[in-house]
Amino acid sequence: MNERADPQKLPRDGSFEIRDWLRLELMPHFMCPGCGHGIALRALLWALDELGIDKDKLAVVSGIGCSGRTAAYIDANTFHVTHGRPLAFATGLKLARPDLTVIVISGDGDSLAIGGNHFLHACRRNLDMTLILLNNEIYGMTGGQVSPTTTADRFTTTTPFGNNEPVFDACEVAKAAGATFVGREATLQTPNLKDLLKHAVAHHGFSMVEVISDCTEIYGRKNDLGNSPEMILAQKSGMRPEAYRNTVDQPFRPNPFRTGVLHRGDRQEYLDAYRARVQAVQAAKGGGK
Amino acid sequence: MTETTVNETASAGASGEKTVAERPTNVLIVGVGGQGVIMVSKVLATLAQAAGNQVKQSEVHGMAKRGGAVFSHVRFGRKVFSPTIPRGEADVLLALEWAEGLRWLPYLNRARGVFIADTQRIVPPFACRNRADGAPLGYSRETPKDILAKVRTGYALNATGIAESLGNRRAANTVLLGVLSTALDFAEKDWLKVIESFVPPKTVEVNRAAFLKGREWAERHADVGLDEDVDFSLPSPPAVEPKRPQVFIERAWCKSCDICVKMCPERCLELDEKNIARMKAPERCTGCRLCEYLCPDFAIRVLRLPAGDSQQEVRP
Repeated sequence: MNERADPQKLPRDGSFEIRDWLRLELMPHFMCPGCGHGIALRALLWALDELGIDKDKLAVVSGIGCSGRTAAYIDANTFHVTHGRPLAFATGLKLARPDLTVIVISGDGDSLAIGGNHFLHACRRNLDMTLILLNNEIYGMTGGQVSPTTTADRFTTTTPFGNNEPVFDACEVAKAAGATFVGREATLQTPNLKDLLKHAVAHHGFSMVEVISDCTEIYGRKNDLGNSPEMILAQKSGMRPEAYRNTVDQPFRPNPFRTGVLHRGDRQEYLDAYRARVQAVQAAKGGGK
Repeated sequence: MTETTVNETASAGASGEKTVAERPTNVLIVGVGGQGVIMVSKVLATLAQAAGNQVKQSEVHGMAKRGGAVFSHVRFGRKVFSPTIPRGEADVLLALEWAEGLRWLPYLNRARGVFIADTQRIVPPFACRNRADGAPLGYSRETPKDILAKVRTGYALNATGIAESLGNRRAANTVLLGVLSTALDFAEKDWLKVIESFVPPKTVEVNRAAFLKGREWAERHADVGLDEDVDFSLPSPPAVEPKRPQVFIERAWCKSCDICVKMCPERCLELDEKNIARMKAPERCTGCRLCEYLCPDFAIRVLRLPAGDSQQEVRP
C-alpha cells in the first residue's frame, strides 16, 4: 500500500523538499535497491530548486535505460525518447524553444555507445543545455551487457570471462569534442554533486556532468562488489578532488577518477552565433524583415 | 609515515667546556606538523653541539602535511645516554601549539622545569566530533593562567601574533626560540648565528627580528609570564537556536538497501523485522542529513525543528 502524504501538508523546516518536484503518483520509483541514480536525481532536483527554475520552463529529456527512466519521476516537462537520441531531440527542442532550460539525463551506454555520434556533435555545437551522464558502467535495464565505461576485467552478461576492452573517459571525450563545461562527481558526495550541477545548469553553453553511480543489483552482484553501502563507500577510495590533485604530488591512494570541474571553455554559444549570423545576413540584404 | 631519527655527536673540542654541565639538559619541543618543531630542535642541537656538548635528538616527524602532532626530544650535556627524555625530567617544554603543550605537561619537571607555550590554538578535527547544535569544542578549557599557576616558571605568549606583526606568521617558532634563549645558557650572538644559518636567505631579517622580539618579551614578562591584557578565552560556540532533528521514514518507499543504516555517522538507524529502515536511537541523531542525501528512494526526510516543537507527520 502506498501511503502517500500530501506535500502541502507535510511539516517543513525550510530545507529542500524533494516531494515538491516528484510525480508522487509514480512513487516509489522502479529502480533497484541502492541504485545510485536515485541519489543523482535528488541532487539534480535540489540544484534546480536552489536555482529557482520554473517547472513550466524546464524540459528534461532522457533516452532509454535505467537513466532514461529517472526523468519520468520529475514533475516538469519530460520527454522519454529513443535509445541514444536524447541529445538530438534536445537540440531540436532548444532550437525551437530557446526560452526553456533543457536538461538531458542519459547513461553511459545511451550517450557513449548507441548515441556516441550525437554526444560528439552536441559537444561540438555548444548549444546551451546540460547533459547529465549517469555512469554506472553497465547496461542495467537491458540485462547487464558490457558498456563503453565498464572497467577492464569486470564480468557482465556479454563478457562472461571478463571485459577485454579499454574504457572511455567520458569527460576527456566531451572536452576533446568541444564541450565548454565538463565536470565529474560521485553520488556519495551529494551536496558537492548538487553544487556542480548548479554550475553546469547555470553555464551558458553545452555542459556535461558525469555522475559516478552504482549498479548494485546487476553489476555489483555479478562482480562481487558488495552490497549497496559497500559499493557507495568504495567510491570514496577512488576519488580525489581536482584542486587537491594539483597540489599534492604523492597521492595517498591511487587515482582512478578525478572529480570536480574538469574543464571550462569560452567558445561562443551556438544560438548566440546563430543570431549574430542572422543579423549579419539581414543587414547585408538591407533592413530586417 | 612515522620515523624516528637519532643524531649523535661526540663531544667536539675544548672551546666550550665551561658550558657543559654534568647532568644533561632536556628540552622537549612539541607542536603541530608544519609549525617548525624540527627547525627549532635543529637550531638548539647545533648550538649545543657547537658549545662542546654531546647532543642526542630524537623526533617523530612526517606529519606536516596532515597537521598531526610532532615532537622532538633534545638532550645535551657532557655525556648523554638515552636519546629520549623520561617522563617528568624535561627542563624546558617548548610548545608551538597550546593543547600540544598541555598534552606533554607530565614530561615537565615540576621542581625546575620551564614551560613555554604559544597560545595559538589549532583545533584538530577530532575536537569537533560533537555535531549537535551549539555543542562546545572538545578543545582544552584550561586558560594560560591556570597552567602557569601549576608550573614553576612559565611563559604563555601569543607568538603567532608577534610573528604576524613582524610580517610573517611562520616566524612564530623563532619568537619562541627567543623566549627559550632566556632559559638556557648560550650567548645571544651564537643563537642568531645558528638561526641565520638554518632559515631561508629571504627570511633572515624577519627571523632575526622575531628572535629578538621573543627574547625581549621574555625579559619583560619574567615575573608573570603572560600578557595580562590579552584575551585568551576560547571562542564560544555560535549562538544558534538549538534544533531538534526529526527523521521521518516513508515505509512504502524504502527498498531495504541498507545505505542509511551503514552510512549514519551516529549509528542511529536500523532495519526492522521487515527490513525497512527504522529510527533506533533518535536521541543520538544530530540532523546531519546524510541519510536523507544518500537515500536513493527519497524515503527519508530529516527536519530540524525548533526544540520543543514536536511535529507529527500529517497524512491525508
